[in-house]
Amino acid sequence: MIDWIAYAWLIPVFPFLAFVLIGLLPKRTLGWEDGGGYAVAGAAGALVLSMLVIWDVLNGQTLTHDAPRSTWLIIGDFRIEFGIWVDQLTAVMLVVISVVGTLVVIYSGGYMHEEGVGRRRYYAEIMLFISVMYGLVIADNYLQMFIFWELVGLCSYLLIGFWYEKPSAASAAKRAFIVTRVGDIMLMAGLIILFKYVGTLDFAVLFGQGAGSIVSRGEIPQDMLTLATALIFGGAIGKSAQFPLHEWLPDAMEGPTTVSALIHAATMVKAGVYLTARTYPLLVQTPESLLFVAIIGGVTALIAATCALAANDIKRVLAYSTVSQLGYMILALGAGGYLVIHAHEAGGYAAAMFHLMNHGFFKALLFLCAGSVIHSVGTNDMRSMGGLRGKMPITSITMLIGSVAIAGIPPLSGFWSKDEVLAAVYEGGEFDPVFFALWAMGVATAFLTAFYMFRMWFMTFAGAPRSEVHAHESPKIMTVPLMILAGLALVSGFALFVGEGFMGFIERSIEDLPVTPLHESLTDIAVRIFTDPLTYVSLVLAVAGILLAYRVYYLPGFDRSVFAVGVRGKLQRALENRWYISQFYDDFAVKVWYGFALVADWFDIYVIDGIVNGFAYLGANMGATIRKAQSGNVQRYASLIILGIVVLLVFILYVLPWGGW
Amino acid sequence: MAVWNYLDGFFPQLLLIAFALVMPAIDYVVKDKRVLAWASLVPLLVLAALFTEWLFIGGWEPPASDIALLEVSMFSGLFVLVFVFVGIVVVLGSPEFIKADKNQGEYYALILLAITGMTVVAEAADLIALFVGLEIAGISSFALSGFRKTEKRSAEAATKYFIVGGFSSALTLFAISLIYGVAGTTQIVGIEPVLAGYVSGTEPIDAGPVLVLATVLLMAGFGFKIAMVPFHMWAPDVYEGAPTPISGLLAAASKKMGFAAFFKVFLIGLILTKTDWDIAVGALAIITMTVGNLIAVSQTNMKRLLAYSSIAQAGYVLIALPVATQYAVAGGMFHILTHAFMKSGAFMVVAAMGAVAVGEKLDDFKGLNRRSPFLALSMTLFLLSLAGIPPLAGFASKFVLFSSSVYASFEPGQGWLIWLAIAGVLNSALSLYYYARVIKYMYMEKGTGDSVKIPPMMAVAVGFAVLMVVGIGLFPDPFVSACRDAAEAFSGLAPGWR
Repeated sequence: MIDWIAYAWLIPVFPFLAFVLIGLLPKRTLGWEDGGGYAVAGAAGALVLSMLVIWDVLNGQTLTHDAPRSTWLIIGDFRIEFGIWVDQLTAVMLVVISVVGTLVVIYSGGYMHEEGVGRRRYYAEIMLFISVMYGLVIADNYLQMFIFWELVGLCSYLLIGFWYEKPSAASAAKRAFIVTRVGDIMLMAGLIILFKYVGTLDFAVLFGQGAGSIVSRGEIPQDMLTLATALIFGGAIGKSAQFPLHEWLPDAMEGPTTVSALIHAATMVKAGVYLTARTYPLLVQTPESLLFVAIIGGVTALIAATCALAANDIKRVLAYSTVSQLGYMILALGAGGYLVIHAHEAGGYAAAMFHLMNHGFFKALLFLCAGSVIHSVGTNDMRSMGGLRGKMPITSITMLIGSVAIAGIPPLSGFWSKDEVLAAVYEGGEFDPVFFALWAMGVATAFLTAFYMFRMWFMTFAGAPRSEVHAHESPKIMTVPLMILAGLALVSGFALFVGEGFMGFIERSIEDLPVTPLHESLTDIAVRIFTDPLTYVSLVLAVAGILLAYRVYYLPGFDRSVFAVGVRGKLQRALENRWYISQFYDDFAVKVWYGFALVADWFDIYVIDGIVNGFAYLGANMGATIRKAQSGNVQRYASLIILGIVVLLVFILYVLPWGGW
Repeated sequence: MAVWNYLDGFFPQLLLIAFALVMPAIDYVVKDKRVLAWASLVPLLVLAALFTEWLFIGGWEPPASDIALLEVSMFSGLFVLVFVFVGIVVVLGSPEFIKADKNQGEYYALILLAITGMTVVAEAADLIALFVGLEIAGISSFALSGFRKTEKRSAEAATKYFIVGGFSSALTLFAISLIYGVAGTTQIVGIEPVLAGYVSGTEPIDAGPVLVLATVLLMAGFGFKIAMVPFHMWAPDVYEGAPTPISGLLAAASKKMGFAAFFKVFLIGLILTKTDWDIAVGALAIITMTVGNLIAVSQTNMKRLLAYSSIAQAGYVLIALPVATQYAVAGGMFHILTHAFMKSGAFMVVAAMGAVAVGEKLDDFKGLNRRSPFLALSMTLFLLSLAGIPPLAGFASKFVLFSSSVYASFEPGQGWLIWLAIAGVLNSALSLYYYARVIKYMYMEKGTGDSVKIPPMMAVAVGFAVLMVVGIGLFPDPFVSACRDAAEAFSGLAPGWR
């Protein structure tokens, strides 16, 4: 019996090898799809090993505090070591990355087929991304995690700007990179605070509860821990596109749709949620940070959902939807922390990770469906789609499954996890009434989600075609991944009832915290869900949202021009302009930062360049003289040596004593 | 019998000299001149294997020297290893470069003799041995720079190098005689006890000013070897004019020999009068790195750019002297080690481009990625490593070096040392500007010309350097501990780590 978990470090190696091979092999040996074959092999190798590792985790093995580590550098008591950390939380991330990653790479075989020579770069970058994403989730200390955190950001930048010759893509890539960098700086500041006080960034030490938490051991003052955790969460705000840094994600849709599905829906944007969940042992020591987390999550969920209402670009609808759902996860983590502190329950934490997994599947599905539609129609604009149901049967049905799942209709996956999220937030209201307000926002979001998703589906697939395009169903290599993901969206919610149940499983990753295991049997969970009136509140609202969309966007005879006048018109325009947030940033940038940039530019041109040019002038002039007269110059070199000696002597014998040294 | 016992301690030097002497004979006999390169690789590979085994694995140990002139220690061992590795890279890169030249036997013989001189400096326990070593290496290098005597540039470089080199040798010798006058000994370890007498006042004579003069003259003499500002003027001209592999030897090995001498004399012999020289050396370190980087920005010839970059790198290593802890020496040696690979590798890329007639101007690097992806990728790695980008070797060694001065600055009265680290970090940022420009040229700019085929031996030389730059960057720990062990030779210094 092989201990697969000990080989978890090999998981990122497969895609990395594929990256190296695709990057370095001569062009004629790249084979299928200019490197696509290597990419599929790399992703599949990682998938198989991930599954074996997850199997070990399911059987109760983990690799945490006592994991073997390798040394990077030791100087005295300063040590930097790297290691592997695999627990239940890691396992959930591994499931999403490996399954979605592999399916997306296979799907790319069809979607990127027309790219020609660009495919090599595409596959190389996708493989690098998958590799470093694995690296991120198996890191056993914050430094190692931060390195991979930056690398996934780099890959995201490269892939958003894949069509870099398009100015909008190039600027979206830059924007995504710079905005997430704001979060990265906060994360780095938080880590520096932790390091300054505790002297290490190893999870094993920071989270160690054996000799008490790091606060109770007196290693870090309470207020500093609050600051550090809030800053670390700042990293999540950037990476997971939370308010107020959420605007980069809709812009990131400039990249290929496969990239949006993999990086900007299923994996990288989850890194922020993962970071917050990973930091849980620290977060639950600071209620202030938890409240901050919850409020950011709740506000993001609602604002992003409203922005999705008026978007006409199919990918932007999905992007705002992603932001909104990430808000749900963050909200659940914030509320869940309160539950851990006050009720010693892990419900909110488990709900967040459950939603993360389910969302990974159905949102990747939705994006790939959108990709299939775009591939066939050649536009992102839903206003020129319509009536595609008959021409693209598989895509339309799988996308319907995805939409029903995200809308939260039982028995599809979104229902179960969204319900758990809302239940945890409502329960948090017992300890701080703010959570009641956040719950109300969450429920409103559920209504809006159902509405905009079906608005999208009806606009795309129902009714009569609104433009002259010869749509056709996508090839099998694209539809088969869709069907697999649709199957997962149908059943992944039942993970709640398999084995020990998802909640009981994920809970074990924070069992060191004062958490009493849920003593619910699996039937109890089902009974609790279906006897709770709150379940029906969100369910009824979701159905109402679908019906409203049906009325407005499907049944004929509804005059949508009412949205364009009066107060409703103002609201409509505000939504179309994303609440003017983006505009605010642009104005702010233009008016304030441009002024600052002018000053910096002046300084750069006249002071820094002046110095550089001065030296350059000196160097170049001397060079010119040297070539003209050799003998003179050797004398000059020698005299400079003498001059140097004299200056040094004067400096040591007279200047230093005079200066009091 | 007795003679052989004495010679035991000279084992590495004797091996190198023996091969150097037969090289012209082989040249006379064989037609295929590549045999010369293979033959000169033999002693280098043997020494590399033996010293690697000694320092990293354990087993073989070099014979101890019975005479007081040389002293074999981990410190000298590490330097010998650096010289030998650079020698291997240079020899591998040479056959294609000089294939059309005459007198190739002398060329390889001189390389081996230069390395012999360097090993003598590394092992020297006496100022006289040190001086002899400097001269053996120096004179061989003068001849090597002028190897293409019919080429104007090469001859000019050799002449300049010779004149300025002779001048600085004279300064060094004068300094040694002054030290002998003050201390009554030329043994490096023997200087300190005498100085202790002056410091404590038991010796009546005030030798202060004479000693300061000697110190400054040594700074000038060694500063010439390491191209410390203002004793650096020769370096860009010579690197540009010399055959490119030889530029690599000068930048990556000869310069390190200067550091070996600097460390020994200043941190063992003159450590008691450290307050006389530490601020001056610290200031020169900052000036050297800044001037090197600033002038490098405006260079259009790749060899000159690398020359100024080496001047800047010497400024970084100089930090170790005023910090003067074992940690700092370890950091300095580690940076010397990594710099040897990245700089010799970068010069070999330039040499390879010269060998296949691409050219060595900055403009010739335009579009290199299309012409030779291997050279472009290797050069990118060397340059990023020089700039100190993780996870490459240059980052690891700069990290150890700069952090040593940060740690030392926590000691009372040593607060100013932190400025050395700050200057180093700012300079690294500045240097990225001109390194990144080369990378941009190679990948983003359109160039002319078809793809080129790199001679296999050069590819091996470049590939070996790449392997070391990446390998040391990913797994620095064994190298750092080797440097730490070596730094323990400086038993008079505080450890510097907690």
